[in-house]
Amino acid sequence: MTWIDFPLYSTIIGILWVLGLIFLLFSYKKQTVIKFANLLFLSGWFVLIVFVVKLWLELDRPPMRTLGETRLWYATFLPLIGFLTYFHWKYKWFLAYSIAMAGMFLAINYLNPETYSKTLMPALQSPWFIPHVLVYLFSYAVLAASSIVAIKGWYDNYKGNFNIETLKLADNLVYIGFAFLTLGLLFGALWAKEAWGHYWTWDPKEVWAFLTWMGYLIYIHYRYFHMHKSKQALTILALAFVVLLVCWFGVNYLPVANTSVHTYTNY
Amino acid sequence: MSENNYKVQRNLWENPWGYVESFFIGFGLLVTGFFLEMFVASDTPFTISYPYNIVFLVGYIIILFILYKWFSTTQLIRWLTKVPASISSIVLVTLLVMIMGIIPQIPSESNFINNLGLNHITSNWAFLLIVFQFLTCLGLISIKRILQFKWSNFGFILNHVGLFLALVSGMLGTGDLQRLSINVYEGEPSWIATDAKKNKVELPFAFYLNDFVIEEYHPKLALVDNKTGSIAHNNGKNLYLVNEGETYYFQNFEVTINKFLTSAGRIGDQYFPVNELGSPPAASITVKNTKNDSIQNAWISSGSFRYPYESLKISEEYSVVMTIPEVKKFSSNIDILTKEGERISTVLEVNKPFKFKGYKIYQLSYDEKMGKWSNLSVLELVKDPWLPVIYIGIFMMIAGAIYMFWVGNKITKN
Repeated sequence: MTWIDFPLYSTIIGILWVLGLIFLLFSYKKQTVIKFANLLFLSGWFVLIVFVVKLWLELDRPPMRTLGETRLWYATFLPLIGFLTYFHWKYKWFLAYSIAMAGMFLAINYLNPETYSKTLMPALQSPWFIPHVLVYLFSYAVLAASSIVAIKGWYDNYKGNFNIETLKLADNLVYIGFAFLTLGLLFGALWAKEAWGHYWTWDPKEVWAFLTWMGYLIYIHYRYFHMHKSKQALTILALAFVVLLVCWFGVNYLPVANTSVHTYTNY
Repeated sequence: MSENNYKVQRNLWENPWGYVESFFIGFGLLVTGFFLEMFVASDTPFTISYPYNIVFLVGYIIILFILYKWFSTTQLIRWLTKVPASISSIVLVTLLVMIMGIIPQIPSESNFINNLGLNHITSNWAFLLIVFQFLTCLGLISIKRILQFKWSNFGFILNHVGLFLALVSGMLGTGDLQRLSINVYEGEPSWIATDAKKNKVELPFAFYLNDFVIEEYHPKLALVDNKTGSIAHNNGKNLYLVNEGETYYFQNFEVTINKFLTSAGRIGDQYFPVNELGSPPAASITVKNTKNDSIQNAWISSGSFRYPYESLKISEEYSVVMTIPEVKKFSSNIDILTKEGERISTVLEVNKPFKFKGYKIYQLSYDEKMGKWSNLSVLELVKDPWLPVIYIGIFMMIAGAIYMFWVGNKITKN
């Protein structure tokens, strides 16, 4: 009954990360403090990973079936992307945002106690299940990070101190996120062929996954040919993320939802 | 960030065509498509099958090649190989797919939706025309990069050619795609399948179902509101799997499972293990009300198509019920009998199809009312001769995605 432990785990993680964020704030005054911030973030992340592993063992199935479980993976991947990007680009604000966002998703899970049912319907019992979901959620997390960059870009633009480097960071993330998005989509197609007899059926979730893919496709093409039109590019990036969110959980609320095989179950 | 301090004054349709002209043409295609949809649309979706789809594909590629090779100086071809044409067609395809993602693709009561064909986008003329423009851009661009081959273009070619192949062969392949379903009963051979239009199709081989097996999870316990009949615990989430010896807590009730039988029959006021057709799972439970320390003992059962369910009323408001067990796995142990007298045995299971004579055979369904006592297994047979081409496209895109990941990683500060 691991989800019952979740409040305990998430509180510990929450405390560690909030402390980390405070240290990070101080590091703008005194650079060496950043070490403590990183240490706190890492230990929080470690606790989160322990929880995920425990949950997986406890459930006897990959914890990737419910919306809450996908949020858990999202919260797990965001700090990883934060760390990698921080070591690559040295942007402290980015690390802070990704930790805060991961914390927000843990808080959502804290407020919505989820199911910990062990049952898994036959169609999901496939070797494709884990790669399909993990690749997708990793991509969602990277693309969420890119939209954080878009917001930062808008803000800088508004303040009048926009730096084109911000867009390069966005490109960096979008390319990686889009690569994983493509893999997730294609893995899904290969899996669907094994499970349902056809690789593409225009199921509502597939439709929105395709739209998400097209949204980032537009961004990539636009950026490739209009290197300097930053404001338009940022707008496209923000819109593409809205489509991604519709695909992730908005589909459940659309009139097309009841014709989908992809809706997350509550039981 | 303003790189264009000057704006070039240019007229519409002046060389080269830009975004305005591109969207103008794109919307023109959409309007034409919707007109066709309103006035000349037929009820049958537009599909072409073998050999015409092969002829179409080869002809299309040859025409694209000729257009690129000898007509690339013309206005139209120049426009099609430039970015505004690509981006506008991507945007407009996205727009139509978005309609598909919002309006359910089923028969509609709205005349507007019906007339414009918004509930069958994939066979809508507007969609076909704009996808045609999209594919033409994609095809021309791919030919351009292949002819000007450089290793630095390799990832580009993988992505674009892969997408072109997957999309074109996916669309053209629909005409040759055959999906049949067949009902197979335990103990008798079956060889008559039905296609999507409910026509009977005789198969060149027969199926013989030796055994149909369902594995189930344990049922779950739920607290039900006596008035509404809905699940009254944690918004219907977090139901507990019934396991012998466990104790669960529902509000102020403590429910202990003393005994659990997967297949039980009622004799007198108790359940005993039996193995009959339709014998449901049952559990003996003890419910303790922690408010007044009262204790109730009873048997509950989820029931089946043959026996009624049994719940336990624990207060004026609530009852404890056992849910119908969920299916863990279902499989058919079948023999395939050919006309030549061969007998091939295999086990079909969801996610584990079997390849035979150009068909892929899937475990599709069973008699859900009978549940684990079903002696019917529904199989699906799929023949998709275009699949290898689609897979080539898909694997090129997978390779392209890995390349993109590598490129993305190389983007750094400076």
